[in-house]
Amino acid sequence: MTATSSLTLPQRRRGSRSSASPRFARRSLNLFYVPALAVLALFTIWPLLNGIVLSFTNWNGYSPGRSFIGLENYGRLFADPIFHTALFNTFIYGFGSTLIQQVVGLALALALDRAMRGRNVARAIIYLPVLVSPVVMGTMYYLFFSYNSGGLNDLVVALGGERTAWLSDSNTAIALIVLVNSLQFVGISMVIYLAGLQSIPVMYYEAARLDGAGALQQFMNVTVPLLQPAFATSIVLNLIGGLKLFDVIQVLTGGGPGYSTNSVSTLISTAYFDNQTAGYASAMGVALFILIAVFTLFANTMLNRKRLELQ
Amino acid sequence: MKSTLPGLAAVAVLAVALTGCSAGDDGGTTIEVQTNLGATDPILEVLAEVTEAYTDDHPDIEIDLVPATDTYEADMKVRLASGDVPDIWATHGWSLLRYSEFLEPLNDQPWAKNFNPALAPAMENAEGEFFALPLDTDVAGIVYNRAVLDAAGIDPASLTDWAKFDAALKTLADAGVTPIASSGKDSWFAGNIPDFMGSGGFTDEEFQGFLDGEFQADGYASLLDEVAKWQAAGYFNPDYSSATTDDLGRALAEGKTGFIMVQNYIVGTALGFDPDAELGYFPIPSDAGSPFLVGGEGRAYGVSRTSEHKQEALDYLAFLAEPENLSQLASAIGGIPGLTDATSDLGVLQASYDEFVAPGDVPLLPYFDRVYLPNGIWDTMVSTTDSIITGQADVPTAVDQMTTSFDSLHGQE
Repeated sequence: MTATSSLTLPQRRRGSRSSASPRFARRSLNLFYVPALAVLALFTIWPLLNGIVLSFTNWNGYSPGRSFIGLENYGRLFADPIFHTALFNTFIYGFGSTLIQQVVGLALALALDRAMRGRNVARAIIYLPVLVSPVVMGTMYYLFFSYNSGGLNDLVVALGGERTAWLSDSNTAIALIVLVNSLQFVGISMVIYLAGLQSIPVMYYEAARLDGAGALQQFMNVTVPLLQPAFATSIVLNLIGGLKLFDVIQVLTGGGPGYSTNSVSTLISTAYFDNQTAGYASAMGVALFILIAVFTLFANTMLNRKRLELQ
Repeated sequence: MKSTLPGLAAVAVLAVALTGCSAGDDGGTTIEVQTNLGATDPILEVLAEVTEAYTDDHPDIEIDLVPATDTYEADMKVRLASGDVPDIWATHGWSLLRYSEFLEPLNDQPWAKNFNPALAPAMENAEGEFFALPLDTDVAGIVYNRAVLDAAGIDPASLTDWAKFDAALKTLADAGVTPIASSGKDSWFAGNIPDFMGSGGFTDEEFQGFLDGEFQADGYASLLDEVAKWQAAGYFNPDYSSATTDDLGRALAEGKTGFIMVQNYIVGTALGFDPDAELGYFPIPSDAGSPFLVGGEGRAYGVSRTSEHKQEALDYLAFLAEPENLSQLASAIGGIPGLTDATSDLGVLQASYDEFVAPGDVPLLPYFDRVYLPNGIWDTMVSTTDSIITGQADVPTAVDQMTTSFDSLHGQE
């Protein structure tokens, strides 16, 4: 009865309208896109275009006047050692965080995919930091790493060591930034891999076991190939997050010591609001946009190609 | 449901009635004053008290004192860029270089004749125009703990050049006290060091060179050489990167550090930890001339050129400038009044004022960056000095970055 009704009702509708009706329906449907397109245009496309225009000026960010200076800001990017440092750090934050989150996220997903007591509680605890503001997370870790009253130094002293200014050395500070960012967002990778693992039919593992495959062979020949969609999603998401990392750096080091831990994002903020070189900051913003677009497109294409090969 | 409707109706009527009472809607004038004071800042309370006295006399005017966030400068830039300009705003040291094109000149105001002449280098342009009412005059030197220096046998008045200052740092280090403290977390501390030193650290020709758009790299390098020397000797506080203003205030109050180069508000922070701490400041040593103090515009307020209520805003400023009101505000700040007909209680800093400021023998120089460096270079000063203190960069690298920043910011609109 239900099936009949659902089949006849559209037919009656089609029959009651003229031949122009589908076009009208399409037009009506297209109208539903308008609010979303308006929001996209106002908050994404317009600022992007405005940023591109600003990147060709020497505007300070607030004065009424601005002059067109052509490609000067882009030329400065190539010669600016501070930008080069920030760019290098951005790669470390992007790829370092992505690597750690994939390895740890997958390991956690494999561990928590098994039937065990407290599994759901463990999953929730690992995911909880994702819900915390990166500023709060960064502040907590800042206090943990602080020289005089930080928990880490207290532990070192209790073990007979000496206090260390963890954030004063750029190498240590960069490693800690990658670590804090990874610890916060590893829950996302874990959830993606858990969903991927649960979508793999059990019969593949049963067939592999019948063929005499051990745990490692099952993992390499069944799990890894069938997790390709999850790899693609997780890697691209983590890569984007890492390449535009801002909050944690700002709270933990403020880009220091000196300029040594800046990412391109934090350097843009400094150039726009502190140095008052809005035009130059916009040029850096355009460069970062292109960088993220290129890397995510590349990663997406490669991972999808791999998936198609496996299919 | 029956009992809810009358209640909702009453609330609606009350809301309409209350809305109708606001000054903006009944034909009155609302003046927005963007302060750079936090919502819980005691100075804001005093400003509110003074403002209430004004609105009592002017019931048709409402003064909206807006507290600031901790991103005041960025907030103001966004407001100026978008044309959403307050009627009055705090210029926090930038009434001339950053905000003057947006502000009304105030030379013809009734209180202008009492403008503290010490502020002229920092607040007046080449035509002699100034653009803000200074509530207080900022006077800063090197802050110290008197008990610590007494115990080490150091007379701060004798530290007239950098060699003598270096010797004092060594004496303190030998006595087990951190000789000099700064903060990488509250990063302006690092910028203050070359800024303080720079005000009296160049020859007249070098100063003119800065004004002509040529960065004086050799002179600036000699300032940073001093900082690098202190860093290499281990004179800075070991918690430099994570230390906050509170940490430095506590260290100063507890006698764990000898010197801090920052404005006098650190004294207020220190007294919060030990109200009986003996603190003071002394003139900054100089190898290029005589010791000097730095400062200029403290807390100051200007009126927007484009304000729809310019006359009312100027009238409100004139009220703040009345001697009893300005004295009340300057005392709340603990600073020297910005107008010569007002007075204030300087508390623990009175002795330093009486010794170094009142006699008028020690020059009060404007902050180096506000006069000789282009707008926007402050962050570069902070980061490059930070890199020296943490040993992340050498002096030539830091000077190169300053030069690049200086050159690029000249000609910026």
